[in-house]
Amino acid sequence: MARTTTTRRGLLSGLANGLMTLPAAAVYTGLTVVPVGYAVYYSFTQYNGIPSQAPTWVGWENYARIIADPIGDLRPAAWVTLVIAVVGAFLVNGAALGIAMLLRRTTAFNTFARAVMFYPHVLSALIVGFLWQAILGPQGALNNLLEHAGRSTLPFLADPDWALVTLVGVIVWAQFGVQLVLYLAGLQAVSPELQEAARLDGANGPQVFRHVTWPALAPTVTVTIVTSILSLLKVYDVVLGLTNGGPGDATQTWAYEILAVSFANNKVGLACAQAVLLVVVAGILSFTIIALRRRAEEGAEAVG
Amino acid sequence: MSTTFLRRARGAVVLGMTPVLVLAACGSEGGSGDAADDGSVRMLVNITDNLTQAKWEELVKPFEDESGIDVKIEGPSGQSVAESFPSLLAAGTAPDVIESIVPGPDTAPEVLDLTGYDWASGTPMADLYSTDGTINVVGVGMQAQSLMYYNADLFAEAGITEPPTTWDELDDALAALAAKDVATPIAFASDWATGVQVQEIWHPQQNVTTPGWQQSVADGSSTLGDQFQPVFEHVADWIEAGYTTADDVATDSGTQEANFIAGDVGIYPMGSWFSTTLAASPPDFEVGVFAPPVDDDADAPGPMGATLAFPYMVWKGTANPDGATALVEYLTTDEAAIAAQAEMDSFSREGLEPSSNEYAGMVQELSDAAPSYVVPGNQTVGDYALPVAGFNPKFTELVQGLWQGRSPADVASDLTAWYEAEKLG
Repeated sequence: MARTTTTRRGLLSGLANGLMTLPAAAVYTGLTVVPVGYAVYYSFTQYNGIPSQAPTWVGWENYARIIADPIGDLRPAAWVTLVIAVVGAFLVNGAALGIAMLLRRTTAFNTFARAVMFYPHVLSALIVGFLWQAILGPQGALNNLLEHAGRSTLPFLADPDWALVTLVGVIVWAQFGVQLVLYLAGLQAVSPELQEAARLDGANGPQVFRHVTWPALAPTVTVTIVTSILSLLKVYDVVLGLTNGGPGDATQTWAYEILAVSFANNKVGLACAQAVLLVVVAGILSFTIIALRRRAEEGAEAVG
Repeated sequence: MSTTFLRRARGAVVLGMTPVLVLAACGSEGGSGDAADDGSVRMLVNITDNLTQAKWEELVKPFEDESGIDVKIEGPSGQSVAESFPSLLAAGTAPDVIESIVPGPDTAPEVLDLTGYDWASGTPMADLYSTDGTINVVGVGMQAQSLMYYNADLFAEAGITEPPTTWDELDDALAALAAKDVATPIAFASDWATGVQVQEIWHPQQNVTTPGWQQSVADGSSTLGDQFQPVFEHVADWIEAGYTTADDVATDSGTQEANFIAGDVGIYPMGSWFSTTLAASPPDFEVGVFAPPVDDDADAPGPMGATLAFPYMVWKGTANPDGATALVEYLTTDEAAIAAQAEMDSFSREGLEPSSNEYAGMVQELSDAAPSYVVPGNQTVGDYALPVAGFNPKFTELVQGLWQGRSPADVASDLTAWYEAEKLG
């Protein structure tokens, strides 16, 4: 009798839990799963996005087109995106961790400095692009200063290689604020006792960082790397404001190709195929990083 | 921050953000809402410094008073009308009247056929914008594209007595300007402007060499690369000579216009709309305008590249077709409405009173002297439309390669390859 009552209670509890998750599940399904499903479906069609003109099923044609890249515009975009994701993630995390180490102690100045460092992230990415264009353009503030100082101007946005480096720099400037906050939170969780014990054992600053702080930060590092790479893979607004993909196609990213080229020409099917591939790449990268970081996180648990 | 929390956060990131990447790019299927049926007419218009919301409302006010139809003026929800209209179609909330764009291959089936309206065939450029006699866009006049604004004071200082009419004379003029240390003998600008400017300076000779060149490309008797390689060679020579630099194609058109007005530029290729800017900020030097050159002096002036001014089309799904077409008829045939639009953004039209804008007057003279009008390559409707979408953005992207050291032959070859991969049908 007691077992039956327990079982019934368990069932009711499970049912209640299930019912309570229904609203969230419905919202997630309606706002995420259904649109993603449509995107996957459209990726197998030729469709211009106009409801009165029905999509035509074309199978893998859009994907074959992306792989064949007959006009050679997608591979450069993939390369630019890769550079931004890899170099950008490295720089974003390096800058964020370095500054977090400097600002880890809570003082009035550090609180102010944290707000200042986070501020670029508050700005719209489009505005960030226009702002830096005004500073780094051929007739921007910096080149005007150089000219008045009798120096030759620099092609920050006029030369393809310079433009890509400039774009990465601006993106890093705009994005590292979020990673900084995560690193600051992660550093607060590092045991002061362990750090103190290491110092008492004779470890110097770099050694304490190497053997105590860094291992304890492992879970934070995983989160910041994954979030920064996902964010950098879909960079679009800054590109639009800063270079509009130019000069030529030197700074066209994959997301720019999707939104400013494919969608702009009403190629919704092709755009969705490009987006699906981006999601697949983002997923593979995320899970690979998480798998690679697992060992480091286990070390962190040992330290913690 | 605990390890458990970070793990959950990581899971949320992977589960949550990844699909959002798709969401950002591919929205769900749009609704199918019907247009408002309250007797009003919604008109989507281009909003610029010249074409303000207030001016648009003032323009339609006499129509509202006369017809009793309420006209609701709407600016683009996206970057432009061209971007907004397909989005609004997808959302099922398309406006009744659309201004500033012409139909493309995708949007043409969504636009009302105006051929049956007597007034439509009498509107300017109706012949150049019709497909097999079918009219689905009408306008109020012609905006000249093939124009070279020049600083007459700099020309005089460089000893150039007459504006050039042939390509050789233009090369000589640029060399003379450079010899006088003019900062920028000929100015190009970034983004859309690079492609438009290179096409503008080539319209006359291109249409002398191959009249109706778009049809030659479409039927395979010519290629897009062959059509443009000669102008690429001219531009590459100018880049090599330093008349225009890579900074040009990283400088927006607004800044280049300011550079011209400041007296730093010898020649600035741009459409007739630049005359309105000049009138608003008159330079303290004399400005002249000449038609882009041709190879042989006997062919000068060549055909004038031109586009439809204030193009209007009506959405086929409108709940108020009578009101929408009446509004378009008013805007394109009423003399007061046409004059008001000419004040908003200058254009040429037969019988239109000469503008008080002296720069527009010079443009009008060149337009009157042109032997014919020809539509540009980014034309998306009519018998002279290239069967391809996205011509100008791709042309701009490729042509900017000239400033990065790419050869004219390579750029021309890529243009042909793009056309072959993208052509419709």
